[in-house]
Amino acid sequence: MSVAIMKTKAEQAFSDAYSQVAEQLPGSDDVRVLRKKAIGEFDALGLPHRRIEEWKYTDLRNQLKEALPVGISDETTLTIADVIVALGPFAHVDAHRAVIVNGRFRGELSSLQDVSGVEVRSVADALGTTSEALKSRSAPRDDAVLALNTAYVTDGVMLDIANGTTLQKPLMLVHLRAGKAAQFNAIRHVISVGDEADASIIEAFVTLPGAARDGQVNAASDVTVGDGATLHHVKLCSDTGAVTHLANWMVNLGASCTYRGFLQTQGVSLARHQVLATFNGEDAKLDLSGAFLGADQDHIDMTVVVNHDVPGCESRELFKGVLQDRARGVVQGKVVVQPIAQKTDGKQMAQVLMLSPDTEFDSKPELEIYADDVACGHGSTVAEIDADLLFYCRSRGIPDAMARVLLTESFIAEAIEQVEIEPIQDALMASAREWLETATRRT
Amino acid sequence: MLEIKNLHVKIAEDDKPILKGIDLTVPKGEVHAIMGPNGSGKSTLAYVLAGRDDYEVTDGDVLWNGESILDMEPEERAASGVFLAFQYPMEIPGVAGLTFLRTAVNSLRKRRGIEELTTPAFMKLVKEKGSDLNIDIEMLKRPVNVGFSGGEKKRSEILQMAMLEPTLCVLDETDSGLDIDALKVVSDGVNALRGPEKSMLVITHYQRLLNHIVPDKVHVLAHGKIQRSGDKALALELEKSGYAEYGEKAA
Repeated sequence: MSVAIMKTKAEQAFSDAYSQVAEQLPGSDDVRVLRKKAIGEFDALGLPHRRIEEWKYTDLRNQLKEALPVGISDETTLTIADVIVALGPFAHVDAHRAVIVNGRFRGELSSLQDVSGVEVRSVADALGTTSEALKSRSAPRDDAVLALNTAYVTDGVMLDIANGTTLQKPLMLVHLRAGKAAQFNAIRHVISVGDEADASIIEAFVTLPGAARDGQVNAASDVTVGDGATLHHVKLCSDTGAVTHLANWMVNLGASCTYRGFLQTQGVSLARHQVLATFNGEDAKLDLSGAFLGADQDHIDMTVVVNHDVPGCESRELFKGVLQDRARGVVQGKVVVQPIAQKTDGKQMAQVLMLSPDTEFDSKPELEIYADDVACGHGSTVAEIDADLLFYCRSRGIPDAMARVLLTESFIAEAIEQVEIEPIQDALMASAREWLETATRRT
Repeated sequence: MLEIKNLHVKIAEDDKPILKGIDLTVPKGEVHAIMGPNGSGKSTLAYVLAGRDDYEVTDGDVLWNGESILDMEPEERAASGVFLAFQYPMEIPGVAGLTFLRTAVNSLRKRRGIEELTTPAFMKLVKEKGSDLNIDIEMLKRPVNVGFSGGEKKRSEILQMAMLEPTLCVLDETDSGLDIDALKVVSDGVNALRGPEKSMLVITHYQRLLNHIVPDKVHVLAHGKIQRSGDKALALELEKSGYAEYGEKAA
């Protein structure tokens, strides 16, 4: 039996916008067909809500009250100095930058001239000739968020890292929200790391001072890691104001590769990061970890699915969060081990520090194991600041508020230490520290 | 001068009294030892001086240089010169020893109205004080006390004491868990901090620490009260007779 549900205002607006903007969206006829199909899917699915198991703790239909106008083009006048200001601690990371402002790639703000062994194209350009960018090998099924992305994607970056290439510097995809117009932006990246290649890719979502308070960002990254390759894939989501950030990472892993993903979220009102990672070749290693910092009524959801489709792979997940005021955190980690995937080694851990009694943390580990020779485990903890440690710090003259920041920092640092590239680790730590100092001052 | 007057203390969460009227004065420049059987209230006294809030003072007062410290926060007491060397120093994962020390030193300097130390000045000081205690910079780059041996933890406590320049040093069972060599290093570190402006209260179960840190006076604490006071000879006497006459059951 199906029950017809009235469309919400936001659902209606997302559906209706399509006919108004379709002509202005980039892409060939093929692409147009895909977009049309996607908006049809969204129409049928609506926004995900709490009766859908995967969205039980993040009722998007209820929480997303309205749809902002779809961003199409961007003419914001900006300089590289603006980009540096918005990046904060990440400005100190020596990296090749690809800058995307309000959903559009901006070549003149980017610094990609001297990247060798990497082919870089804007997704908007690529869509003019092919719809490949929108065809992921492993898209989550019936995902309304990804459908919206496909329907409205304006731009992004296609990175093709050649076999055997070692990148000397990280590639940083900078996403800036700028200008007075509140809008919805859909961005898609397609990242392909060739066999035996070694690269670090950072996705930074930041806000230019003076940008519209409200914003909606829908970002998807389609990542393929070749055999024997190594990819460090780090995301900082520090898009402040009243921002909804919905994201999908679709990660396909080759044999004997190493993938180290890290998601840091802070200062975002409503965030949902979904990661769907699939092992396609044996003996590969994945570490997918993250740190999240929530205050006020922030709602931060990390939902990860790891598919062990082949034998002998290892997956590790460590998520640590700090919640204060009425903030809510969600960590859902699902590990699926197929019958053929013997010798799988999968572990996950979620830990949260609750700084006020009104915070909420929902942790849902799921293990679906169909093979018999595997080692899988999960754990979850919540805690307050340790009173003994606090007294120890204060007895050394460190004021109460500063001691709390120090101890909170020490808690979150254990997650950030999963990022093995030192300058990136330092920038993440500095960003977290900025958040903690601001959040603590306010209370 | 430290003056403890008729101090009564209970655990905040229940009504069990622990200290039942302590009277004790430690003048400037003197080192006093407090000895006593297990469970006599020695550590409670140390914590109450440092301002831990698990305890409630039901009567009496503690004056440091003529001023009551009982209403002060732990960090205010630290600024006024109080330092407690913990029996079990805490481990703080994720916070480098140097960061911790520098934060503490500069917080105290700020509160005491002294200019904060620059990074080079701080590093010079910490190297100098550390070398006296066989602590090198590498050890301090590691998280505070994490993975340290018992001896390393105690040396790191004494380094903190040296860096924070307290005037009232309370040492809670600083000898516990130390072998003879480590005991010597730690005691030398403590002795180096003795001075005419400083008062020290050394809490210990055993006499052996007092061979190295020679006290001006020894007090026996049992059943929440000072039972006897004397000079260092009292410690030797206790070493022979044990605490039996103060009611400690044989272990």
